[in-house]
Amino acid sequence: MNIRLSGRIDSNNAASVEEDLLRQAANADAVVLDAQDLEYISSAGLRVLLRIRKMRPEMKIINVNSEVYEILDMTGFTEMMEVQKAYRVVSVEGCEEIGRGANGTIYRIDKDNVVKVYNNPEALADIQHEREVAKLALILGIPTAISYDVVKVGDSYGSVFELLNARSFSKILAREPDKLDWCVQEYIKMLKLIHSTLVPAGKLPDMKETALGWARFMQDHLPEAAGKKLLALVEAIPHDDHMLHGDYHTKNLELQNDEVLLIDMDTLAVGHPIFELASMYNSFVGYSELDHGVIQRFQGFDFETGRRFWRRALSSYLGTRNERKLREVEGKARVLGYTRMIRRSIRRRALETEEGRAEIAHWTGELLSLLERIDTLTFQPNELELEAVPENLEEVQAFVEEHLEAADCPPKAQMQIGVAVEEIFVNISSYAYHPENGNATVRVEISDDPVSVAITFLDHGTPYDPLAKKDPDIHLPADERDIGGLGIFMTKKLMDDVAYEYRDGQNILTLRKNL
Amino acid sequence: MQSLPSIDLHMHSTFSDGTDTPAQLLKAVKAAGLGCFALTDHDAIAGCVELQGLLAPGDPQFIPGIEFSCKDELGKYHVLGYRYDPASPAILDVLALGHGYRMKKLGLRLDYLRAEYGFVFPEEDLEALYAQPNPGKPHIANLMVKHGYAKTKNQAFADYLNRLHAEDDYVRPEEAIRGILGAGGVPVLAHPCYGDGDQIILGDELEQRVVRLEAFGLQGLEGYYSGFSKPLRELVLSLAERYGLYVTAGSDYHGTNKLVSLGDTGIKESAAPAEGILRFWEAVTT
Repeated sequence: MNIRLSGRIDSNNAASVEEDLLRQAANADAVVLDAQDLEYISSAGLRVLLRIRKMRPEMKIINVNSEVYEILDMTGFTEMMEVQKAYRVVSVEGCEEIGRGANGTIYRIDKDNVVKVYNNPEALADIQHEREVAKLALILGIPTAISYDVVKVGDSYGSVFELLNARSFSKILAREPDKLDWCVQEYIKMLKLIHSTLVPAGKLPDMKETALGWARFMQDHLPEAAGKKLLALVEAIPHDDHMLHGDYHTKNLELQNDEVLLIDMDTLAVGHPIFELASMYNSFVGYSELDHGVIQRFQGFDFETGRRFWRRALSSYLGTRNERKLREVEGKARVLGYTRMIRRSIRRRALETEEGRAEIAHWTGELLSLLERIDTLTFQPNELELEAVPENLEEVQAFVEEHLEAADCPPKAQMQIGVAVEEIFVNISSYAYHPENGNATVRVEISDDPVSVAITFLDHGTPYDPLAKKDPDIHLPADERDIGGLGIFMTKKLMDDVAYEYRDGQNILTLRKNL
Repeated sequence: MQSLPSIDLHMHSTFSDGTDTPAQLLKAVKAAGLGCFALTDHDAIAGCVELQGLLAPGDPQFIPGIEFSCKDELGKYHVLGYRYDPASPAILDVLALGHGYRMKKLGLRLDYLRAEYGFVFPEEDLEALYAQPNPGKPHIANLMVKHGYAKTKNQAFADYLNRLHAEDDYVRPEEAIRGILGAGGVPVLAHPCYGDGDQIILGDELEQRVVRLEAFGLQGLEGYYSGFSKPLRELVLSLAERYGLYVTAGSDYHGTNKLVSLGDTGIKESAAPAEGILRFWEAVTT
């Protein structure tokens, strides 16, 4: 039972208020003063609070309006005792729903502001959590919106964000289907930024722990061998301190003016990117596999668009159009995706309805057939970042070869590519950061039409265009030739195309070879 | 510039609502190790006159002071005055004006207690009451407790004295400021964030008060005050700086009537005293 404070507390009524409060406090287990109707408190009133707190140190004050809060803050009371502000009341009736996640729904309340309403009525802790992780993400370089106010919405709470003239990617896809490629490109650019962000240890939950929980839950719902295999597969996923969004679908990406913003940050975690791909698969395909209306209702675009978006995004993320490779990684994502959906449905008592049982049977069937052919849930990313030193050449070569082999690259082309890769990487190691050291990124992308491979080298070293140099005259006698320039000449001969550009402070050199 | 001694410029004696006589106060000031002090009784200067006569060579620096209770359309204020000429008609006129209001109020209160609750006091107590330099609610409350009309002073206030909401007459702040200036003194706004001691005045409201009083000739703000938290102190100090006003430091010591000690002003919590208090000290002691 809360004790209500009302009107003004000043020297005219302080003594009687004190007597009254002490009498009520004597009967209360915990003293909570509800200041919703308190308009003003003078220093005599503050002394009353001090005396009550002296007797009941656990005392706290809630629903304090902003004027009274300022008084308590300036006089140092907010440091002495727990004081909770009153929350502005906001109604979302008739407001446009612009996003929906596991923990809440986002509404636009006016032109410039949105509110995320939490499902859980005890949401203040969740709101605090989301604010903290959003701040962390922002510090780590992820463009996101930070809430500036907490409000009361019906029986629950919401956090308010400024989001000016923003449109979600879902809305763009629903209304302008020709922007699909652009959306995929920006969506993956953001995803790569998230996945390349290292999170200091202990700041975010480990997704692997969560997934192990799912796998353990599934032990009672799968044949024994399959259950054991599932658990072993999850256990074998290596620990990873890179960031995961956790609910990365197109409603959580907003275009504000020309800036892409990530929202709905409460699911932020760390872990291997396969967990993200699993959740993405579910959002665009999994949840709607049986009922294609699901995605239409949730994202505003149809199942085919969702499916196409997922495939393009996966291809762009993996840097390959190789259908076999895409199927392979998609299969791994589906293992985790189905696991999660089955557990979620069972926990929502879906087994009690015919429809639910059919859905679970379908997902379980798919999961079992995947488990028969999949032996690892990890996959090879198509980018490798490492220090540009000659000692790392071997690692770069192994990385490129693995991709080439997966794409059935003929041995001759593989050998030629190897020569070119060595030439370029050694150049970067020797000159890009001289006399300092720095990192280089190597990216391998395989395309199907025509079957070709593109290998891109990126470094932040001195701008240098190796193609600007005139080709050496190889018809001169050996002792009259310039030293150098031969390596890049050879590279140009071996490859079908070599292109250089300097962009965003990076040397970007791309080799292309048709296979 | 000399360094600032340990200083307390706001305290009360038995000439208002403190519990120490001037002689006891001087002793306590010395015991507290203060290097400079001012006595600031409510609407009374007789305590200062008495204290001045008690001073011996080697005693701490003494600055005669006063604390006027004032009121205008913006609310209530306490205005401090320092180093005035106690014989100046300018300040004596304001005191007389205030004393007249006070006696009128005393009569109204006693009438109210008799008419509303039937409380009567023996003639000799009333005589002693009227003989006090500045009798007010605390003195009546003491009598009520003495005669069993209330269990405690607090109850006397809450259940009886504070229920009378008669039109109060007060000296206006500009009258107090002019009186202090006319007597060659320095007018300073006491505990600016607390109004007459029991309000909380912040932000624009506070600045508005300072601007208004400065136009009447106010020269300083009590920036260091026993009841101020750090943010309040910083708020007042920043206002003093913005308007080029002196800064003073006061505990508002009332003897056993209040739980503050002499010298308890918060000034020691600052790394360095505000420049405005050094200017004030130099102005009133040289």
